[in-house]
Amino acid sequence: MDRKEELIKIFSKDIRTILRRLTVDFQQVQEIRLRVQAPLLMICNNLEFYITPEGTLSKRADEAYLVSRQELKETLEYMSSYSLYAFEEEMKQGFITIQGGHRIGIAGKTITDETGIRTMKFISFINVRLSHQVRGCASAVLPYLYECGRILHTLIISPPRCGKTTLLRDIIRQVSNGTGPEAGVTVGVVDERSEIGACYQGIPQNELGIRTDILDCCPKAQGMMMLIRTMSPQVIAVDEIGSREDLEAMEYVMNCGCKLIATVHGSSIEDIRQKPVLRKLVMERWFERYILLNNFGKIGNVDQIYDSRGTRLYPIGSGSCDG
Amino acid sequence: MIPEGPGCIRSVPEAVMVSFCLRMAGCILMVTGTSGYGLWMSGRYGRQLGELEQLRQMMFLLKGQILYANAPLQEAFEAVGRRMEGRLAQLFLQVADRIGQKQGEMFAQIWKDEVDSLQDEVLLSGEDRQSLAALGEHLGFLDREMQERNLLLYLEQLDLRIQEMREHKKERCRLYTSLGIMSGLFLAILLV
Repeated sequence: MDRKEELIKIFSKDIRTILRRLTVDFQQVQEIRLRVQAPLLMICNNLEFYITPEGTLSKRADEAYLVSRQELKETLEYMSSYSLYAFEEEMKQGFITIQGGHRIGIAGKTITDETGIRTMKFISFINVRLSHQVRGCASAVLPYLYECGRILHTLIISPPRCGKTTLLRDIIRQVSNGTGPEAGVTVGVVDERSEIGACYQGIPQNELGIRTDILDCCPKAQGMMMLIRTMSPQVIAVDEIGSREDLEAMEYVMNCGCKLIATVHGSSIEDIRQKPVLRKLVMERWFERYILLNNFGKIGNVDQIYDSRGTRLYPIGSGSCDG
Repeated sequence: MIPEGPGCIRSVPEAVMVSFCLRMAGCILMVTGTSGYGLWMSGRYGRQLGELEQLRQMMFLLKGQILYANAPLQEAFEAVGRRMEGRLAQLFLQVADRIGQKQGEMFAQIWKDEVDSLQDEVLLSGEDRQSLAALGEHLGFLDREMQERNLLLYLEQLDLRIQEMREHKKERCRLYTSLGIMSGLFLAILLV
């Protein structure tokens, strides 16, 4: 089954028929958005298009196909393989990750109790974010991540939809396999949302390298500790850090002699410094490299690379951030 | 002297003897046949009970897969189907396979189709099949707690059915066996 067909099968029957008619290269598709009684949208190469009932892309809203409540309900059933109960914990966070590592964002009415969000009902908004595996996309940044043959603590900073997970995935793959003069090392991945490895029944669907061990669907903080104790990794990789627990676990990892590669939402080092929890890691110079991404031109476009002192290493030229 | 050979006329006592032997053989065959049928019915009852017990075990395993392994239905059905044997295990594997095909059918329909396809391959009664088919209408709906409740409800029904069958097993088996023998004997007396 090709990638397009695999993806299409998560939608309701009518939407499947429309998407099948599309001639778009699904490798370029970033998002497909469904909202009740609203146009079916597709984000492709950072451009938004309406999808028409004839299966073409249009810039005119009046030509768009309107999604019904029933279609949304059906889509949810198929996305979860009739097993929404199995995604209870993820639904509390507003998304589920399906086979292939695609992230489905959902919104509707939340049901809360004394412990917080219990579940969600009347789900009326779905955002299918397609996972992409771009082999080699990290090749340009890898030389900056090594010093005297050893990998450096690295933080990838990027706003949403700029390809930080895609970049992280390729860094993991190349660090694990070994690249150029650098030998491969054991990498432990804590894949809390199954986005990096897209494991299906424990087997990664994305290529993460021959020396990579993956803890799938495991909370990051606990996962990092577990990996240190059990798999003796030389490098630990995690996606989207942010909580206080993550920070404590990261500190533990760094003090154990392990190298850490992580990603975080933000648009600059200054942004991270503004965040109450993450401020500490910039101020105390935990990371030796900061990679900033933007989405100009292509997904995963490297904007700038800084060292721990805030000296800009890429693009080469005078410049620094006030780190 | 009466010549012997094909088409010859036998003496009266000899003809009676042959007729008697044939009747006796017929009676023996009849009694054996009806007794065999009775025994087969008795065995069938046991096998039906065995199937219900296997189904119960499979439902327990399914519950474990859903509640403790947090497995989606496809994975749960496949795991249980692989652990067990027989037509019911095949039913689980077929359901898992159809979920995986993602043909755009509702789960209740998939489950009902597959339960209907069992036909004469299992010994479950019509009532048992109906309650098994009805299970699919609620599986996958809402949260894990709901799955547990649905499965527990079905398990309760199964338990009652198994208990009822176990209670009647001895008398039913004896009844089938004796009815088989007695009906054979009765027919033998009637016809002879």
